[in-house]
Amino acid sequence: MTITARRTQRFDVAVTGLGLVTPAGTGVEANWDLVTSGRSTATRDPNLEGLTVDFSCRVPDFDPAALLGARRAWRMDRVNQLAVAAARQAVADAGLDTSTWDGARVGVVMGNSLGGAASYEREHDTFRDEGEDFVSPFLMVKSPVNMIAGYVAIDLKAGGPNMVVSTACASGPTAIGTARHLLESGMCDIVLAGGSEASLTRTTIAAMQRMGALSTRTDAPEAASRPFDADRDGFVAAEGAAVLVLERADDARARRARVRANISGYGASADGYHPSAPDPSGAGVERAIRAAYADALVEPRDIVHINAHGTSTPLNDVTESRVIRRVVGDHPAVTSTKGAVGHLLGAAGAVEAAYTVLAVQHQTVPPTANLDAQDPEIEVDVVTKEARPMRIEAAATHSFGFGGQNGVLVVTAP
Amino acid sequence: MSSMHERFAAILVEKFGLGADEISPTSTLEDLEMDSLALVELVVSVQKEFGVVIDDSELPGDATVADVIALIGARQQEAA
Repeated sequence: MTITARRTQRFDVAVTGLGLVTPAGTGVEANWDLVTSGRSTATRDPNLEGLTVDFSCRVPDFDPAALLGARRAWRMDRVNQLAVAAARQAVADAGLDTSTWDGARVGVVMGNSLGGAASYEREHDTFRDEGEDFVSPFLMVKSPVNMIAGYVAIDLKAGGPNMVVSTACASGPTAIGTARHLLESGMCDIVLAGGSEASLTRTTIAAMQRMGALSTRTDAPEAASRPFDADRDGFVAAEGAAVLVLERADDARARRARVRANISGYGASADGYHPSAPDPSGAGVERAIRAAYADALVEPRDIVHINAHGTSTPLNDVTESRVIRRVVGDHPAVTSTKGAVGHLLGAAGAVEAAYTVLAVQHQTVPPTANLDAQDPEIEVDVVTKEARPMRIEAAATHSFGFGGQNGVLVVTAP
Repeated sequence: MSSMHERFAAILVEKFGLGADEISPTSTLEDLEMDSLALVELVVSVQKEFGVVIDDSELPGDATVADVIALIGARQQEAA
């Protein structure tokens, strides 16, 4: 297989702002403190009481009425509320002012998988129990996935290209990679890119449990998400949102913005193999990795840290580790922050891109929570127990979705 | 029994996120940011609370809280 690099000069996109609303908490500091601590956020979920899997990773202390005003909050699904909260935070973190920016040049690209699933289920119940005339018309502005980016634009007066991309768990890299293209082509000067997910409904959890994807460690939820561990038995579903403020590196420099790190490469591929299982050959994942490295003009030896997809499922973690070893080598310090915050599905890749940015900024790899005894079949260097300070010029983050959709980003120091 | 105004205001507070102090008999639906979709929702809430059917086309933006309550009262009279 040959990937021919089209580039002769690297195109760096500066990350000038981050917004995080995740199970680790709200804000960059709360998130970095939690993921570097090695703790896990999985806990019993009252909304899932009585189900086979009755735990999840939820965003703590999120008060949409206080944040958005009660008049507005009820009109939005939680997936939209989380997205707006993260986007506001990211813009403030970037030192930008929405009252003075040229909104027509600001794009929004958000990733998501299941839309306003909770709203859809609620109105389905209303339709079944009360009838057509009681169904809320707001369902059509709460549930469709496009509304996530729509609400961000409404809230922040961002009038540029606006879209939601959906590649399951790879939606984050797809959104950030799409943002790179919007910036490189000149269509936008600023892009707010990320992901939001709020699909911890009883039906969704039941279906994921039935497909065998979830950990069933109900006696110890805090130990359930354990990527790369010999005793792993599935992922823990999570909710939350992350938004990155992206600008061309030259523009960021010109306005003297603080640059946390650069997004320097993006690669994508499809396994074309199976609806839910990864291709055991890893060929699709390898294509995405090589494409991202070619885009960033880096070699495998340059990548010293990987924030892995690392779901904590038996199949993913061993397959991914083999691809890393074969394609990249045994030198990268690998971590999976899903041990700490669980699997945010369509927002997972955006959250992990943010954590990779922070790893590069702080020159520190966060540990994989709950990794007590590494699976002997997983022959890569997984960081566990304690955060590892190290020199990081270039790192990568991996995201692989159901449907075989893969996305990889390369993150570099500015 | 609480007054019609109190019962109607309670709907606006609980379901539509308005502050109780924002709602007076002279507030218009526009003042209260009740857009067309919210009015469709309001019709359902009125039906559940007062047992009468009104149509959202009977609720123009400049209708006041007092106007809506009068309309509900009239419907109740018709039904009695």
